[in-house]
Amino acid sequence: MRVVVAEDLFLLRDGLVRLLGAHGFEIAAAVDDAPGLVAALIGERPDVAIVDVRLPPTFTDDGLRAALRARHEVPGLPVLVLSQYVEQLYARELLADDAGGVGYLLKDRVFNDDQFVDAVRTVAGGGTVMDPEVVTKLLGRRARREPLARLSAREREVLELMAQGRSNSAIAQRLFVTEKAVSKHSTSIFSKLDLAPSDDDNRRVLAVLAYLNG
Amino acid sequence: MPVSHDIGAPDGIFAVITLLLVAGCLAVAWPRIGSPATAKGQRGRLREFGSCVALVLVAAMLADSVGAGQWAVGVAGAGLVLLLRPRAAALITSALLLILGLIGIGLAREIAWGVARPGWYGLAHSWNSPMWFVLVQAYAFLALGAWLGWRELRARPAVARLVLGRTAGLEPADQLWSLLLLAVVVIGSAIISSSAWLVVTILGSVAAAAIIRRAPGFAAKLTAVGLIGLGLTGLLLVKSSTVTSWTLSDPGNAGPPLSASPRPSSATARPSARTTTPAESALIKPAAPKPPSLAAAGVSPSPEPRYGLVGLQSGGTVDVALAEAFVFLGLGCWLVPRSFPAVRKIIGLVPQAQLTSQVQHLARSRAVAVDTAAADLRRLERDLHDGAQARLVALGMNLRAAERLMHVNPEAAAALVAEAREASARALTELRELVRGVHPPVLADRGLADAVRALALDSPLNVETEIDLPGRLPAPVETACYFSIAELLTNAAKHSGARDARVAIRHSGVMLRVEVTDFGLGGADPARGSGLAGIEKRLASFDGILAVSSPPGGPTMAVMEVPCASSLPRISSS
Repeated sequence: MRVVVAEDLFLLRDGLVRLLGAHGFEIAAAVDDAPGLVAALIGERPDVAIVDVRLPPTFTDDGLRAALRARHEVPGLPVLVLSQYVEQLYARELLADDAGGVGYLLKDRVFNDDQFVDAVRTVAGGGTVMDPEVVTKLLGRRARREPLARLSAREREVLELMAQGRSNSAIAQRLFVTEKAVSKHSTSIFSKLDLAPSDDDNRRVLAVLAYLNG
Repeated sequence: MPVSHDIGAPDGIFAVITLLLVAGCLAVAWPRIGSPATAKGQRGRLREFGSCVALVLVAAMLADSVGAGQWAVGVAGAGLVLLLRPRAAALITSALLLILGLIGIGLAREIAWGVARPGWYGLAHSWNSPMWFVLVQAYAFLALGAWLGWRELRARPAVARLVLGRTAGLEPADQLWSLLLLAVVVIGSAIISSSAWLVVTILGSVAAAAIIRRAPGFAAKLTAVGLIGLGLTGLLLVKSSTVTSWTLSDPGNAGPPLSASPRPSSATARPSARTTTPAESALIKPAAPKPPSLAAAGVSPSPEPRYGLVGLQSGGTVDVALAEAFVFLGLGCWLVPRSFPAVRKIIGLVPQAQLTSQVQHLARSRAVAVDTAAADLRRLERDLHDGAQARLVALGMNLRAAERLMHVNPEAAAALVAEAREASARALTELRELVRGVHPPVLADRGLADAVRALALDSPLNVETEIDLPGRLPAPVETACYFSIAELLTNAAKHSGARDARVAIRHSGVMLRVEVTDFGLGGADPARGSGLAGIEKRLASFDGILAVSSPPGGPTMAVMEVPCASSLPRISSS
């Protein structure tokens, strides 16, 4: 699997390259600024790109904007955006095209390399991965609203994990329940929220996020 | 220093004693004025001491011109003031100077009519000094008295208020000019009515005083217009009067110029043929060697047109009247922009009081800004010290322990390493929150509009945004507005019970206007709670203001206005 890494801090870029290399990824390009990133994304057409939000030349959100531009030219180009902060506003912009293949994670998530590599693979496969912090914020904003308030505590936990982009099996593992139980919860959640049920993990995530974002 | 014109030996001894007494009084007054602590205080102290000395001199002169040779009485009175109220010396001196000036004017008139009693006035003697010499001194005393009084009243707003009445919306300094209205009334009434001028003057003065106290702004306008009117009238009178006097000085006409003057109410001068009484012919020669009788003085002044301080008559005083007319005109023109705000706006003049209050405001808001910045830095330091810094120390210790345990007890070491990893994650979270409090990332990345949109998304309320900004604003303004809006939204979420709120931001080119409305219970009190006061302080650094309307039952609306220009062109927010 070919990866483009965009990160301006040498230590972090080097760390990412090593980590991905150790997990069998092929590094197509490792760049340190936004113009380089756009060139690499368009030129290399990697299977997935890992992009820091803040990049030169302006050190604001150049990385994010470069990723969005590349996705505009190459629809569905998988991009996993890393940042020191997660903002709902940026999550919305990434999710806006409904094409999937996006991820938005805090940089700290790299600490847990297994989960991080899983996330990279999910995004590369066209899935959607949202940082738990984003999901918490999304839920927090709507927590007092009907019909979200009707969900049971366990159903909310499942919803949270679904919104993060986890599969049924991953959720079952995390909550120490059977996959069947997770599936039952998810059906119940979808009916309570008036969403069309879907077995496709990817579409399920998008539906949940669209609901929370709406 | 005026001296009695015939000092005898006993007088000399008396003078020495008086001077010693005055010196004693000054010595007593010295420690009671000013504060010697600072250099500025020292200068003020010297100035006040100068006023004390001036008081003695002026009082002596005044007493000497009222009653010839009575200067010692003035000195004694001054000494008494120095003993009792040395700090009032300057104010009393200014009043005495004004009186002295008026006496000088009177004396000049008497000299002109030739009825002056013998005596000293300043450096002039009424018998052998020309009239202009007395007059120049009188003007100097008047100007000096007015200047000193103005300065003193400006420095003592309490006294100024006592004299001028309420000063709502006006600095006492701006209002002092309206006192000139009294002079305008006195001089003006003398021109208008010749017979009953005293009554007109008194009535006019009372009315003027009432206007000055009740409507100082109107009084100032009236003063400016009145002075210009006086000046123009003077010029007209002088013109016609010179024509007359030129005609009168024709050798063919034997009539004395004094009796030929017209009635004051008519602007045209008509020489009236009248026979000269012996008393009047004596008055024509101003430098008469012997003093004329006081009875003669009562006869003479009536037929002359009164203008200005001295009176208009042919000969020397025409020049004086002309000079006075120009002074009135000049003073009036100078006062116009000071009394009429519309004129001030046109010529772009900023009044002193406005500048002063602006400087005071700037000094205050700067102090607040500096304090706030210092407090923020202290908080930052404390947060770093107690949070991230402490966690990193713990992290290092854990890792060192894990290092030691690695071979002895690998499981315990692994647990410690896991703990260290969690600690680093927590430290990162804390740093993130800290940075968000200092400068929110979206604000840095995208500017106020998107930062407020992000804020709206993060708020537990359903916040609708309506933002129209031409581009990036100056960074400090953006930050101040962002945190103010954040505070208002937090307040709304905590206290209002609202579910919906709205943030509207508009920029008119020079003014940023932010409205934060929540549809909650209302009844928010700006006086209560430090949040709103904090916002006001934050905005004050940029001359911004906050207005809150929160009727019971809601909605609560907070409006902030900050003058600022947008700097950068719009940045696309893809």
